[in-house]
Amino acid sequence: MTKDNGTISKQKFMEELRRYQKGSVTRRHFLGVTGLGMATAVLGTAIPGLRPRPAFAAGDIGDRVILATWPNYHDEMNFEAFTEATGAHVQVNVFGSNEEMLAKLQAGGSGWDVFVPTNYTITTYVGEDLIIPLDTSKLPNYDAGSFEQRFSDAGSVDGQLYAVPKNWGTTGFAVNTSKLDGAPTPTTWKEFWDLTMEGYSGRTMVHDYQLTTIGNALKYFGYSFNSVDEKELADAEKLLLDAKPHLFAISSDYQPPMRNGDAWMTMCWTGDGKQMNVDMPEIAYVLGAEGGELWSDYYAIPKGAPHMDAAYALIDFLLNPEVNAKEVLAHGYPSADARTNALLPKELLEDPILYPAADLLNALEFGAAATLTDPNRAELLARFKSA
Amino acid sequence: MTERGRKALLLAPAGIWLLVMLALPLLVVFVFSFGERGAAGGYVPAFTLEQYANLPARWTAFKNTLILAPLGTIAALVIAYPLAYFLAVRCSPKWRTSLLILVIVPFWTSILIRSYAWIFILGGRGLPALLESIGIDDIRLINTPFAVLVGIVYGYLPLMVFPIFVSLDKLDKRLLEASADLGSTPWRTFRQVTLPLSVPGIATGCMLVFILLMGEFLIPAILGGGKVFFVGNALVDLFLQSRNWAYGSAVAMTLVVVMLVTVSIYMKFISRLGGQRQDVSLM
Amino acid sequence: MRLYAICVYLFLYIPIGIIALFSFNAGRHASQFMGFSTQWYGKALNNPFVMDALETSLLAAFITACLASTLGTMAAIALQGVKGWLRTLFDAMIYIAIMIPGIVIGIATLIALVTVFGWLNPLLASLWPDGANPPQLSMGMPTLVAAHTMFTMALVIIIVRARLSGMDRALMEASADLFATPWGTFRQVTLPLIAPAILAGFLLSFTFSFDDFIIAFFVAGSETTLPIYIFSSIRRGVTPEINAIGTMVMGASLLLLVAAQLLLRRGASKSNN
Repeated sequence: MTKDNGTISKQKFMEELRRYQKGSVTRRHFLGVTGLGMATAVLGTAIPGLRPRPAFAAGDIGDRVILATWPNYHDEMNFEAFTEATGAHVQVNVFGSNEEMLAKLQAGGSGWDVFVPTNYTITTYVGEDLIIPLDTSKLPNYDAGSFEQRFSDAGSVDGQLYAVPKNWGTTGFAVNTSKLDGAPTPTTWKEFWDLTMEGYSGRTMVHDYQLTTIGNALKYFGYSFNSVDEKELADAEKLLLDAKPHLFAISSDYQPPMRNGDAWMTMCWTGDGKQMNVDMPEIAYVLGAEGGELWSDYYAIPKGAPHMDAAYALIDFLLNPEVNAKEVLAHGYPSADARTNALLPKELLEDPILYPAADLLNALEFGAAATLTDPNRAELLARFKSA
Repeated sequence: MTERGRKALLLAPAGIWLLVMLALPLLVVFVFSFGERGAAGGYVPAFTLEQYANLPARWTAFKNTLILAPLGTIAALVIAYPLAYFLAVRCSPKWRTSLLILVIVPFWTSILIRSYAWIFILGGRGLPALLESIGIDDIRLINTPFAVLVGIVYGYLPLMVFPIFVSLDKLDKRLLEASADLGSTPWRTFRQVTLPLSVPGIATGCMLVFILLMGEFLIPAILGGGKVFFVGNALVDLFLQSRNWAYGSAVAMTLVVVMLVTVSIYMKFISRLGGQRQDVSLM
Repeated sequence: MRLYAICVYLFLYIPIGIIALFSFNAGRHASQFMGFSTQWYGKALNNPFVMDALETSLLAAFITACLASTLGTMAAIALQGVKGWLRTLFDAMIYIAIMIPGIVIGIATLIALVTVFGWLNPLLASLWPDGANPPQLSMGMPTLVAAHTMFTMALVIIIVRARLSGMDRALMEASADLFATPWGTFRQVTLPLIAPAILAGFLLSFTFSFDDFIIAFFVAGSETTLPIYIFSSIRRGVTPEINAIGTMVMGASLLLLVAAQLLLRRGASKSNN
């Protein structure tokens, strides 16, 4: 404690106590100013319950921080630990797509402190002046060198750091193999769409955003996941419209229906595939052999974040390798941070769902910024949904 | 203070509120509907009729809404009317208030949670499983227009029951007795006395439900699995996914115009039917 | 007939029953019942975000209901006997306010306010003395209440006006002669007569604001109302915690209704004696 721990007047003590009770100063400030810090530190060695909790960030970061993120993407216990350490509660807002996040930020007044954009969106956020450059001095746990580069380089635009890596993953499909009647598990996007229109009719789900739904339809024909070519998109549209009557739902919240057996197959992100596979081994996670999406998510701070200090504190907390390792164990999305991986059990690092074989991985593509903002793809998906 | 000044003072807050919070936003949407989509989405000022020319691309959404909204209204009416009749005419007054309250109580739980309860009921482990145990196989209910219809009727039933109840309650019971004394069959009494007198309630209930259904988006989103698309869903999609604000504004303006036209026609029709020149009151 | 009524009540209450049943589920997933437990009630009550959201919703609904019933009643009374363009303008705005889908007004309000704030904020900053932090206008509780009040005020105007139009004009003229001041007339004659309509308007406004999701979703900024919280949580799969919240809110409102009913009955029997 750097504060002067000398005695203070009785009156001043009462004032400080009131401020502390009202919550306008943190416990640490109170203890420091009143000199009680020393006393409790001494007492603390005898009575463990009295030991001051390690304050995470110096100073008062407020009582809350608002995080916009994806479904099933965090370990709730970590948030509780963050609250313990800093006094700030983490409010989690869950989104279904990057398009939705972008729309909310473009409209303004989102109130978010931290959000989790995917690689292909960051240049757009920078271009639209919606996020702020990160001050790495406030992120002591961020070590650029420990991240695998292909999963961290999208965080910098023109040499300026705007976002730090969270997790990476793939977009494949999850399939309930118990409904296959002994047929082999499908391994390609072609089989995914064919099965949708035949044996799994009425049982398949696709995402409700354009990037992966159109991208994986393009893969049926072997086109690029990121294609914006008119003719190729027309082919994909025809496939989607043919498949639509056979779909169970168009939704990115696919875990509940997959778990209760209403849906048998769905487009799926790594961690969700892992989470379902752990609880129900008959649900397999498959990467289409033709390719598909490889992605990397980041933490970023939107411009005008109302609790800026808490935002930095939360990101830094989640970048802590020990915290991050707990996150990975909870949600099943791989981390690109070597320090985190060093803490993970060997079985997890060899898990084929998290770390697919090289030939499958090499076929994947990162989503492109142009794919996200392409008006024709957006309009195509809207036609598909309203058809 | 003069009478005029007093009136102005009483009217000003409401008037200013409506101008700022209603007229201004509508004006902005109107202006936006002639603009263009920005490169990364959003809005770029322009003057073009392109967005309106593009409206046919959302024809299916309008068609779904214009089919399912009246259908849902009629379904709610068919289910609500006998209940309102029972409550107003047949039920003993002792129970009436409590039973009426029971109609509103479900309204106090979020429509979101109630709709999710229907996911469970209509999902594979709910009703279809029950049907299967009695030998009706392979029924799929969830994520169909039927599921949306059930959700609609469920969500809006109280709004239909109440106005009909009020109009039936006002009805002089002696009229019914007189009609029966004159040798009229119950059905004839109903058709010639009760039904015509409850027209205002029916009109109000239908209008309330219809108006709300035209802008509905939650129930189709939750119970339709993203496959049953209303104009409301198209709007959410345009503003929150494709971020085409200009086009979204044009669709919103069109929806407002379609509603104003349908509702005015409906009001004309009802007031003629009721044989009164008085406009139908919303409440 | 009675059988039919029972069927409709079953239709209304089976989903509610399921919500309540699963709120006592020991397991985490909402689709399988794994034994009885009340832990989710404790979890919900101890969850600061649930409590915050509930507080936000109650506060917004209360302010909305107060504003809407006051301003709406004022306007309804003043509108009596007003003719010409002012009447047309008001009638048009009231009907459009009621007819316009929530989703349209939510989006429109957001866009309009963000645009206006974008102009006003630099202006405020330039007017503010140096050194002091100028206020930043942004979306939040005030905008939420403003949007909800706009719609519910229109409802109140219509309800109160319907009641006023059924009133005897002669009564008011007589009272004007007796009391001389307009305020006296209002307090002694008009107010008691329209009180039920104002109360109905207040309750409707409160309910609407408390349950609204779509307008709040767009205009509430960083404020989280209970429906917004529920919507966000549901995306992660419905947990029994959500069911517990729903059951508690419904239970509380049922209790309030019953209490109000009992009070009214007692009041009625007293005045009969």
